[in-house]
Amino acid sequence: MSTRFDVIVIGAGHNGLVAAATLGRAGRRVLVLERRAVIGGLAASEEFHPGYSSAGVLADTCLVQPSVVTGLGLEQHGLKLRAEAPPVLSLGEGEPLLLPQGRDAAQVERAVRAIGRLSKADAERYPAYVAQLERLAPALRELFARAPLDLVDVEHESLWGLGQRALRVRKIGKTDLMELLRLPAMCVGDVLREYFASHQLTAALALPALAGTFTGPWSPGTAINLLRRECLLGPGIVGGGPMLVAALASAAKAAGVEIRCEATVAKLRVGRVGITGVVLEGGEEIDAPLVAASCHPWHTLCELAPPEAIEHRLEHRARTFRSRGRVAQVLLALDRAPAFGGDPVEHARTGGHLDELERAFDSIKYDEVPDAPILEIHVPTVAQPELAPKGHAVLSALVHFVPYAKRDGSWDEDSRARLGDRVVEILGQHDAKLPGSVIGRQVLTPLDLEQRYGVHGGHLHHGEHSLDQLLIRPTPECVRYETPVKGLWLCGSGSHPGGGLTCAPGELAARAMLAKR
Amino acid sequence: MTNKPSNKPSRSHYDAIIVGGGHNGLVCAAYLAKAGKQVLVLERRHVLGGAAVSEQVHPGFTFSVCSYVVSLFRPHIIRELELVKHGFHVIPLDCSFLPLPDGRSLARWSDKERTRREIAKFSPRDAEVYPEFGLAMTKLARFSKNVIDEPAPEPTSMRPKDLLQLLRLGRAYQGLDRDLRYLNLKLLTMSAADFLDEWFESDVLKAPMAVSGIIGTYQGVRSPGTAYVLLHHYMGEIDGAFRAWGFSKGGTGALSNAIAEAARGYGVEILTESPVDHVRISDGKATGVVLANGDEIGAKAVVSGVDPHRTFFGLVGEKNLEPELVRQLRHYKLRGSSGKVNLAVDRLPNFTCRPGAGPHLEGDIAICPSVEYLERAYDEAKYGDFSKRPYLNVVIPSLVDPSVAPPGQHVISCFVQYAPYNIKEGASQWPSKREAFGDAVVSTLAEYCPGLEDSILHRQVLTPWDLEQEFGLTEGNIFHGELSLEQLLFLRPVAGWSRYRTPIRDMWICSSGTHPGGGIMGAPGELAAKSMLKAGAA
Repeated sequence: MSTRFDVIVIGAGHNGLVAAATLGRAGRRVLVLERRAVIGGLAASEEFHPGYSSAGVLADTCLVQPSVVTGLGLEQHGLKLRAEAPPVLSLGEGEPLLLPQGRDAAQVERAVRAIGRLSKADAERYPAYVAQLERLAPALRELFARAPLDLVDVEHESLWGLGQRALRVRKIGKTDLMELLRLPAMCVGDVLREYFASHQLTAALALPALAGTFTGPWSPGTAINLLRRECLLGPGIVGGGPMLVAALASAAKAAGVEIRCEATVAKLRVGRVGITGVVLEGGEEIDAPLVAASCHPWHTLCELAPPEAIEHRLEHRARTFRSRGRVAQVLLALDRAPAFGGDPVEHARTGGHLDELERAFDSIKYDEVPDAPILEIHVPTVAQPELAPKGHAVLSALVHFVPYAKRDGSWDEDSRARLGDRVVEILGQHDAKLPGSVIGRQVLTPLDLEQRYGVHGGHLHHGEHSLDQLLIRPTPECVRYETPVKGLWLCGSGSHPGGGLTCAPGELAARAMLAKR
Repeated sequence: MTNKPSNKPSRSHYDAIIVGGGHNGLVCAAYLAKAGKQVLVLERRHVLGGAAVSEQVHPGFTFSVCSYVVSLFRPHIIRELELVKHGFHVIPLDCSFLPLPDGRSLARWSDKERTRREIAKFSPRDAEVYPEFGLAMTKLARFSKNVIDEPAPEPTSMRPKDLLQLLRLGRAYQGLDRDLRYLNLKLLTMSAADFLDEWFESDVLKAPMAVSGIIGTYQGVRSPGTAYVLLHHYMGEIDGAFRAWGFSKGGTGALSNAIAEAARGYGVEILTESPVDHVRISDGKATGVVLANGDEIGAKAVVSGVDPHRTFFGLVGEKNLEPELVRQLRHYKLRGSSGKVNLAVDRLPNFTCRPGAGPHLEGDIAICPSVEYLERAYDEAKYGDFSKRPYLNVVIPSLVDPSVAPPGQHVISCFVQYAPYNIKEGASQWPSKREAFGDAVVSTLAEYCPGLEDSILHRQVLTPWDLEQEFGLTEGNIFHGELSLEQLLFLRPVAGWSRYRTPIRDMWICSSGTHPGGGIMGAPGELAAKSMLKAGAA
């Protein structure tokens, strides 16, 4: 049987699609296999209540890398970048704080005005804080927006390439270089407290640093995640994740990529010299000399690959790659738009104090559900009213610090409902009328997210964003996307530079594959 | 007597004055004098040693008041200063004992086979992995000697000497095989508990191992960055043997006295009860010190053996520092998290799980029955309370060194964590909680050895507040500043000033607040002295 495809991409999430489109545009014949009936993975829009659709689980498109947008010509496929990143409303005990996310002068000025209502001193410090991040960003991009550094197999790195990178990093100057070396290992709480005293401001700025981690704001090593986000931050996409997925699919198809849904890969077929293809559930076999897996590294290496193809040490490393999911999603269908004070906002978050975040985190260490989880709220209908009937709204709350497995028994209908009730109750503290306007609801625990989206451990980032796992992702053998199994590559969030809607792993993996051949 | 009070300096001008007679100050003084310098050490208290001190708090009982075991002390310092000749003697600890509330227990011995059998009771798999883990750690400990026996590398410097040092370090890293490199990177960044989870399955083994990652820090065993301290357990070297811990015969103060004797032998003059008020500075240059009584003593160089906070805000004074440095120093984290309870008892504690006397009591005894126990103790402390059920590291030095207690009676030393300096009532309220804290410690220990309360003849409770007031450890931090990654190496105490110099010319710092950090290591004192000699200071 002749080989019809050059590459099979497993998974049609955003990274799988980016890898497929990149390879397709380089002339490779690519087949994407998706287990679910819809493409888009965690960014796919889903109807969760008749007439009401979500905008995916991951809603933050501000990290999508501009190189992907231009490299794949996504703007010709209907993608539009926003003018600036949407502001986030921080809901604490006092008056809500509307914080712009961007670092340009106009946004900083608006932020200063907003913060000034909380604390004059903090407002004065804010431009210095932003300026510091801005100065560090180019150096950080050398780490996070480029091909990974191989810290273990240093012999692999060319001295010339390393030297060039080092020189570019050094360009930021000695003082900032020291800061660059000092900050990453710190607690995000400590970094923020060096600048600010306001509890609400520090809590609002700290939460994004905890995305994808199994830590609270007082855990060391959380600052690197803040820096990572800041250096990757862009304006975001009009229409959010679903729009990104549509543009990627369109670009992929235009490049000749074939996408098959409801095609679950059961096994990788490995011959004497490496990958020869995949076997689908149901027995169908598809040949290809290359496979790029955008699913979780554990799934690829410990479940899909035949055991004899994976060395024991690699198997152990893939198995111990930490992926403790701790985020649930609660979707609400509302018969009116939520009103958290002021103008309608797309993004809001709760938590008015670093200790409040930390206490919520404390519970999951013991597999307990915290009394006051932290909510990252997205109201997609502000920008995309078509997701709900006219005048109605959809609210998605990512509920932070929910255990994957509860200590007092597994998740069931009862505990799921209790979690949903609690989330609605918390939302009600900031919009008293909201609980009365809920007409439909869906609660997805980390366990549900794992089952639905195939994310191991219910971890939305395919592996925790801890210092060690950001520097060597996922294991030393696979740090450059290529695995020891010839022809098998990783291209998902479990690879450098990690999870979230960055599209960077897909792009960098595809480029590495193209450079290899 | 080595601590003979003597309060008048013999000269009005010295090559170097060392402020603070802790172990690092004394080591620094000894090295400078050995090179022919005229050196004066000024100690505020009536005894030498700082936190490495022995005192008769109760008649007949000698307490190693603060620091209680010796392991990290650099062996080449022992050789170079001939400390053995001056009375330094270490009695190795043979056992690490973990009693459990359910009547089981785990004792790890220096005898490997015996340890294997003990661990196998809980997990045969862990028993097999344990020596393998030890081997890997020992190799990494050897690697890290490249870092602790030299001044910190300076990654931002372009000077050929500094680049060469970085290159040497890079070469040493390359000398490790790939598995060890990966392990090294993980060790530097992971939490102790996560790190051990990758190796072991038994909580009973993991808890007492993980706990070494949090000693003296205000972090939990699940906090990233705590794993690397596990290495310390494998770095302890006495006579070159890795992973050996021991008691200093006559208490930890005997070590300080040995260093002091060596220093005097080289001509160092040591004054106790001579608190320094500030360093005399003119034109940005240190010219001597002013004592609390107003006396002035001149010197070519002044060396601070006290923590960075006291050095810069106390001895130097904010007005003599650039605002940017002041800002950085204000962010230097001290945050003491531990206390100490010393007991004089009329009989040996009797552990329910292993009744009676025995060699298992002669090492260190850890009260930390599970990883969760430790983490919950930390959770309590995070919000400003001392742990009601704290981690205890207990030693009974009188069992192996009868000189510290009357016959048949014993000294029990309990290192206690967590006791945060910043309690929610405010640190100055610690005295009102001192006895409650002592009670919590005693009742925690008594759960494992009932009847303990009735055997106590005297109880000394040191809260972090007391450590600050008594021993001058700012915020009660036993390491002069947290040993967190952002405060290590070239960042200790602050970026740009890791090489024992200060922005004040001829003013140096040699305390645990400098590279390579705290513990009775002696390295900061030695490296500071050698840096000074190389620079032609003093």
